[in-house]
Amino acid sequence: MTSSVADPPTLPQARRKVFLALFTALAIALHTFEFLLPSPTPWFRLGMANILTLVALFLFDGRAAWTLALTRIGVGSLVLGQLLSPGFFLSLAGGVTATALMTLFHRLFPRRLGPIGISTLGAFGHALGQMTLAWWLLVRHPGIWNLFPYLLLAALLTGVLNGLAADLLLGMLRRHRAFAEERAGAELN
Amino acid sequence: MSTCLRKLSVLLLLLLALTGCEERSQRVSRSQLLMGTLVDIVVVAPSSVAEPAIDAAFAEMHRIENLMSPHVEQSDVWRLSHQPGPVTVSAETAEVLRRGQIVASESGGAFDMTLGRLKQLWGVESATPRVPSDEEIRTALQGIGPDALRLEGHTVYKRRPELQVDLGGIAKGYAIDRAVAVLRQSGVRHASVNAGGDLRLIGDRGDRPWRIGIQHPRQSGELLATLDLEDIAVVTSGDYERFFERDGVRYHHLFDPQTGRPARGCQSVTVVTDEAMQADALATAVFVLGPQRGMEFLRQNRAEGILVTASGEVLVTPGLQSRVHWP
Amino acid sequence: MKQFWARMLPGDRVVVLSLLLVAVGLILLQLGRAPGRTVVAEVDGKVVFTAPLASDRQVSLPGPLGTTELQIAQGQARIIASPCPNKVCIRMGAVSDRGELLACVPNRLLVRIEGGDDHEESSYDLLSR
Repeated sequence: MTSSVADPPTLPQARRKVFLALFTALAIALHTFEFLLPSPTPWFRLGMANILTLVALFLFDGRAAWTLALTRIGVGSLVLGQLLSPGFFLSLAGGVTATALMTLFHRLFPRRLGPIGISTLGAFGHALGQMTLAWWLLVRHPGIWNLFPYLLLAALLTGVLNGLAADLLLGMLRRHRAFAEERAGAELN
Repeated sequence: MSTCLRKLSVLLLLLLALTGCEERSQRVSRSQLLMGTLVDIVVVAPSSVAEPAIDAAFAEMHRIENLMSPHVEQSDVWRLSHQPGPVTVSAETAEVLRRGQIVASESGGAFDMTLGRLKQLWGVESATPRVPSDEEIRTALQGIGPDALRLEGHTVYKRRPELQVDLGGIAKGYAIDRAVAVLRQSGVRHASVNAGGDLRLIGDRGDRPWRIGIQHPRQSGELLATLDLEDIAVVTSGDYERFFERDGVRYHHLFDPQTGRPARGCQSVTVVTDEAMQADALATAVFVLGPQRGMEFLRQNRAEGILVTASGEVLVTPGLQSRVHWP
Repeated sequence: MKQFWARMLPGDRVVVLSLLLVAVGLILLQLGRAPGRTVVAEVDGKVVFTAPLASDRQVSLPGPLGTTELQIAQGQARIIASPCPNKVCIRMGAVSDRGELLACVPNRLLVRIEGGDDHEESSYDLLSR
């Protein structure tokens, strides 16, 4: 792709749309791929698709992150044949809480929190959202919260790992010519 | 090896072989949902004896359930209720009916096996219980009584074609007796079979008699008394087990065939006698007969028991008094 | 490891450490929990079975998919057989502390351990009611 100074302001917008679509497709691919991996429990996943949500958040903005996250959950569940199943609602609850926390904290502390911190918060939100939905709709007994601390530890681990991956990815992307504006924007911040 | 060492090793091997052969008795407990209630079987025996014995006992109870359940299509009881004409039943069902008839006639109709229509009318255990009108009750009571069924060999003749047979007050007892027989055949000498509160014991617990708690009819979670028993059956009928409430009045499932309404003489009746089937039928009869005639009926049948009257007074048969522990 | 730490902004470190502390704290709180006394089994939210944890026994619990076998032995409860496709309930292992759960979601079964409810098992072997 070439760019020139005379380009109308719609080029960054067009670029954003295209890359967002690309990131979303990647996120869906990761979401469905993860499902094939063996796991100790059916609902525990590495959440690798969140790497792309983070990238959208840091590279573009909160709205992009939401678009990506919701599309990923919806289409991902469709592909897996889980649409409107309990698994879908768990994913949705987790995903919505995670994205909400991530966009909120990014808005509040843009300079003090990087991808790793935001990702960890997102993983925490995901665990919290899933847990709350499971308690509400499936297992209406407070004893289920006994699982929560272990879920938190797992969230911590995946949060840090995903955050690191996002950090590396963001570094590579920002260095690319295609994201000159975004890079400039980030540096100005 | 030196002779000393060899002798020692032989001795050791012998000891090991012996300890391996001797199996220790343990208390094996299993439960299944059967006949609409939870059935607990506890056997005190080596596991290799207990497990197959319990399997066989549960299988036998399943078989009786299929034979005598009013809900299983084409079961003996189902056919008795759905076929107007004479019905030929299995030898077992015929025997249960015969024994039930004896209690029915001796109790002056207090125990009755033809209350199927009445029970359906009230629907105490259904999702929609209701208080029927006098007219409806009169209709449901038509033809019932100790002479309503005539047994000739294995064929049952109903006085009226619409009569519906209900063996609820006796079939569970029979199933318990059969389970006990199967356990005994399997070599079990210490066991208990408890079908939702109706129970029978084989021997004692091994180390001491079985301690049977009697549910307090008005204070749930509390005991009325405990009994030390062995080799005997205990059946309790109470107004607190199955009931519904309407306008502040409680309607339970033990009906007085004379009025078509729940019997009001007692809160609970516990009968202690050899067979569970007999205890089952007697408990129902005594509950309906009320305190005076009920206690007399127990004496006539050489059975023991505890009766709690409607006002809460507790009566105990003389033969049982030495075995009762009050809380 | 050092790579992780180096790439984290000061705020990130705060978040990670706080989450770690919260998780560990909750676990320590749980370890202090009292051992359970009673096993309660529910199918479709309705209690179908209760028994003391101390008495060994095996129960067949019927649900919409079939019968799940629950075993109570040596003060622990575990599911040993179930008609569900993934057998997650069996992999849950044994539970014995108050509040612990076993669940077979496809068969609508929930088994939980409760604390109190002193049946005073020593006072009787069987209840007639």
